Order: sequence, then C-alpha cells, then structure tokens
Amino acid sequence: MIEATKQRLTQSQEKQVATVLLAMFGTPDNPVVLAETGLDLEKLRLCAGPVRSDIVGRKNGLYREHCAHCHGITGDAMGPTAAFLNPYPRDYRPGVFKFKSTERVEKPTHVDLVRILHNGIAGTSMPSFALLSETKIDALAEYVKYLSIRGETELSLMRAFFELDDDAKGILPETREFLIGEMLLPASEKWLAAKESQIPVPLISEGVDLVESIAKGKALFYGDKANCVKCHGVTGLGDGQANDYDDWNKPIVEIDKELRGTRERIKVTATASMSPEELAEHVALQDWVTKLSQVLDGDSLKPRTVVPRNLRHGVYRGGRRPLDLYYRIYAGINGAPMPAAKGAVSPEDIWHIVNYVRSLPYEFDGELGADRPLIARERF
Amino acid sequence: MFLAVPVLGVGTFAVAPFFNIWLPADVSEHGRSVDSLFMFILWLTGAVFVITELLLFWFMWKYDSTKSKTPAKYVHGNHALEVVWTILPAATLLFLAIYQMNTWADIKMRRPVMAPTVEVVGRQFEWRLRYPGRDGSLGTPDDLFLVNDLHVPVDEDILIQLKTMDVLHSFFLPNLRIKQDAVPGMKIPVWFKALETGEFDIVCAELCGWGHYKMKGRITIESRADFDAWLEKKYALQEQTAPPPEETETAGL
Repeated sequence: MIEATKQRLTQSQEKQVATVLLAMFGTPDNPVVLAETGLDLEKLRLCAGPVRSDIVGRKNGLYREHCAHCHGITGDAMGPTAAFLNPYPRDYRPGVFKFKSTERVEKPTHVDLVRILHNGIAGTSMPSFALLSETKIDALAEYVKYLSIRGETELSLMRAFFELDDDAKGILPETREFLIGEMLLPASEKWLAAKESQIPVPLISEGVDLVESIAKGKALFYGDKANCVKCHGVTGLGDGQANDYDDWNKPIVEIDKELRGTRERIKVTATASMSPEELAEHVALQDWVTKLSQVLDGDSLKPRTVVPRNLRHGVYRGGRRPLDLYYRIYAGINGAPMPAAKGAVSPEDIWHIVNYVRSLPYEFDGELGADRPLIARERF
Repeated sequence: MFLAVPVLGVGTFAVAPFFNIWLPADVSEHGRSVDSLFMFILWLTGAVFVITELLLFWFMWKYDSTKSKTPAKYVHGNHALEVVWTILPAATLLFLAIYQMNTWADIKMRRPVMAPTVEVVGRQFEWRLRYPGRDGSLGTPDDLFLVNDLHVPVDEDILIQLKTMDVLHSFFLPNLRIKQDAVPGMKIPVWFKALETGEFDIVCAELCGWGHYKMKGRITIESRADFDAWLEKKYALQEQTAPPPEETETAGL
C-alpha cells in the first residue's frame, strides 16, 4: 500500500524521492518530461498550473479546473470531494485502469482515456466532458498518463530503499540507468506499448439470429465456463456475492489488519532486554504504526467492498457499446474481481453472452425495462 | 446626495443593453410573450419607483429643518389616502395576475399532445438524455443514451419528459425561456418550440450539491434533416461491434 510504504521512509529518504521526482517530473505548476516517457510537454502545459487564460484567451490549468478536486493534485484520488463519492475516484498512482480496450494487465490506450473523458462513466460521479473541445480532452488524457507514470515511479523509488544493499548506505544510486532504466521505464514503456495489446475482436457473422444468440448467451451465463451468476447473481441483480475488494481498497484492508496485529505485538514486547539495534528497530516500528494510524484514521478513504454490477439497470460503466461489453467479458476488469473469460470462453460465445447481457434490462418485455408509470407520480 | 442612488439605479437599466448586459437572446416561440410581460412589469414598476422616489426626495427637501421652521404635526393617518394607496396597488397586481395567465397557461398547462422527443434525467452533476429511437417509444432496446448533448429540431413542437435520479435539479434553458424544477419521483413534461438554429446552454437552476455550478449542458437546435442524421450517427456509434479504423478513432465520439 502506497501510504504504508511512505510512512516507513525516514525524512532523508523522503527527501531523496522528492528530489528525484522533482527532477524527472517537475511540479504541478511546471511539469517536466523526459524524452523516454514519450509524453507531449505542450499538452501537459495546457493542463498544468492554476486556472487562467493565456495571451490568446485559451484556457489553461485544465487539470486543476476539472479534475483535481476529486482526483487530487498528484492523481492520488484524495481531492476534497473524493470522500463524498461512491465509488471513489481513480487513484492513478498504481497505474491500474479498469475500462479499456487492451488486455487485462496492460495500460489503456490514449483513445481509451479520451473515450472515458468524453463519455464519463455512467453510474459514477465521473462526468462527461463532451462539451470540452477535442484539444482539451486530448491534453487532459496526456496529463493523466503523466500523473500515472509519476505515481508508479514514486512507488518504485520508495520500494527501492528496501532493496538497497548495505554499502549504498541508504542512498539511492544517482545513475541514469538506475533512475530512468529501473525506476521510470518499467512504467512509461507499458503506456507506449498499450496499442499493441489491444484485444482482438472477431467480426460478428451476418446471419446471426439474435433470439438464438441470446438463448445461447443465457446458457453460458448460467453455465460453468463463464459462471457469471457466481457474482452477478441468478437474477442478474449483482447479488451473487459482495465480500471482495478491488485492488485499490484491498491493500488498505490488509494493512489495517497488519497494523492491528503489530500494535498488539508492540504492547506485549518487553523492551528491557533489547540490544540498542533492536531497540532502534522497535522504536521505528512504533513510529510507523503511529504515523500510519494517523493516515488511516485521518485522510485515507475508508475501504469499501466492490459490488458486482446489477445488469438489470442497463448502466454500464465502461461504455454501453456491444464492443465495450465484449472487452469487459474477454479481459475482465483490471483491478477488480471481474475475471477474464478469455481462454475459457470462445470469442463467438462471448458475443452470445454480450447479446444476452444487453437483453437483461428488457427481459420481461416491458415489465422491468419499459417506461412504466408505477413509481413516479406522473402527470401524463 | 441620496438622490444619486435611485438616479444611478435607473441609469444602469437604461444603459445596460448597450453593454450587452441584458436578457439572453430569445429563440423560442413563447419567449416573445414572456419577454414582453417582463418589459411591461419593468416599465410599470419603474414608473412607480421613479414617482415614489421623486416624492420622497421632494418631501425630504421641502421639509428639511434648515428650511422649514414649522414643527411636525402628529396625525392618526388619513383614511381616504390609505384606502387609495391600498386599492390602487391591489388592483394593479390583480391586473398583472390576470394579464399573465395566458402566457403561463401556454408554457405550463397547454401541453402538445405528442410522444416525448427526449427524456432528460437530472443527476448530480449532469443531464442524462434518452431518445426513444426508431420505434418511437422510450424504454425499448433501441433507445439512444447520451449525456449533456441535447439536440432538437427547429420549428417543431418539442416535448421533454423531465426526471431526476437523485435530488432536486432545475432544467433551465435561458435562451428558450424555459425553467422547470426536476423533482425526485415526478415525471414532468416540458415543451417549447425553437425558432432559430444554434447552440445554447442548459443550466441547472436549483442548488443540488457541490457540483451545481458546473452542471452545464448544451442544446443544439438544428434542421430536421441534420437532427435525424445526428441521431443516426450517434446510434451507430452506440451499437459499435468492431473497433473503428485508426484514423476515425475519436471522430464523433
């Protein structure tokens, strides 16, 4: 967990990380890009800094105007409005994104990000920015990548301290091959390679009978290969199970458990017979527990279980095109418990499941889906 | 010196239109009567205002203690005067209430008998739209789902079905003189006819949370042919089953 790792660092270690990040990425007002990242600095400049108009009247500071209040200034999803949202906004720093057209563990393509910005995410607080110009959306997508790469680099740097050998004396190597080669590139290269990992989609054959396809899809939905009902429930209401956490909440739950265990151990540890090194370690551990508890009780967002989607609503977060549903089923959802059907289910069968899922909101022929005047006191 | 205040007040009203600080452009059919009602009331109340202020300052000037030496007389009121200045404003208000009834009925009561053109659902903090699709009825698989980007044909009666998903919102079209609160649990019809093409704002006019200020949408009024073409294009995008070729990746997203 990012915060847990952060609290383990000493002041001087934190300073080292900050210096490297400053040199590699600049500040929220003045971003910097290394050529290796492949990012476009002009686009970043449009997003960076305070909200203002430049000399030709063009709006700048786009990220701060549209995104920072939820996603945070560093993309850590701890903006002032984040705590009021369900689901929480995306933390870019782990570099994991849910709704994309690429294989499960790969990064989204630039167009995937543009699509999310353009359409928003239905059923969440992520708004649609369709009314912004294409240039602005393009620039914001670039800035998201920038923050994500920065976040992953930060995590690598922090973790690197625990892998240093003794003669490094707690100081990170300042060589290009370490800082860029081992810290930066593992993150940024994946973004550049995203387009190559796009999910292959077979064309739907022309003569497919929709009714037949839906019936086949239903059988697969309830069958063992796809086993959708395990989470989405036998009624498709998403009530199959609700015990799991997504990849952003799980670490918090686990670290919370670890923290409680550690607190108990500290209480019963006898310090009287400790050597100076042991005592120093013990104090450092206490320090970590205190600092991390403050973070978890204070700023950190309370973890929530992830609820499987209610498929009767017809609200699809990653997009409602049949193509989007194909991507979701084929590769699952990165960061969430939704598994990949790839391999277990053939591509034609996935299309059958897509057709069945799309029919779910309307399955009872007007009873559930159609605009029936039951709940609303209507004046028609 | 205090007279300068009402004088400046009236002065700003007279000068404002030349600085473009006036009512937004009106492109709707009923907007004409709404605006003329507004102007009528403005002139009427303006005239009363001017007369009252002039009287006020005349009395203050005439009976100023440096000029007038007669001491004040305390009276128990003048019955005739009080009757006059109660009946006259009441009659004026009654007149206004009756005068505006036709316009109100046009906008809020005389609903055109037609199927809804679009369903607008307010949500924190966006306007979700649902067009009925080719079969003409809402709630069927061929519906078109969009956000914030409302299109309507020009010179035709438009009927909007207004709902909200969570809290109170208010669907406000400044350039069409339309404002209707969206109430949770209610499905409220809103109708108008747009007379000119163009792109205008949709604004939320009921404080609905921290994002109320940016709950802005856009209404595009276009010819029927353009509108139909746009619907087809958006529907085709919604039903995509294959990734688009690279050059057109983001076109018409």
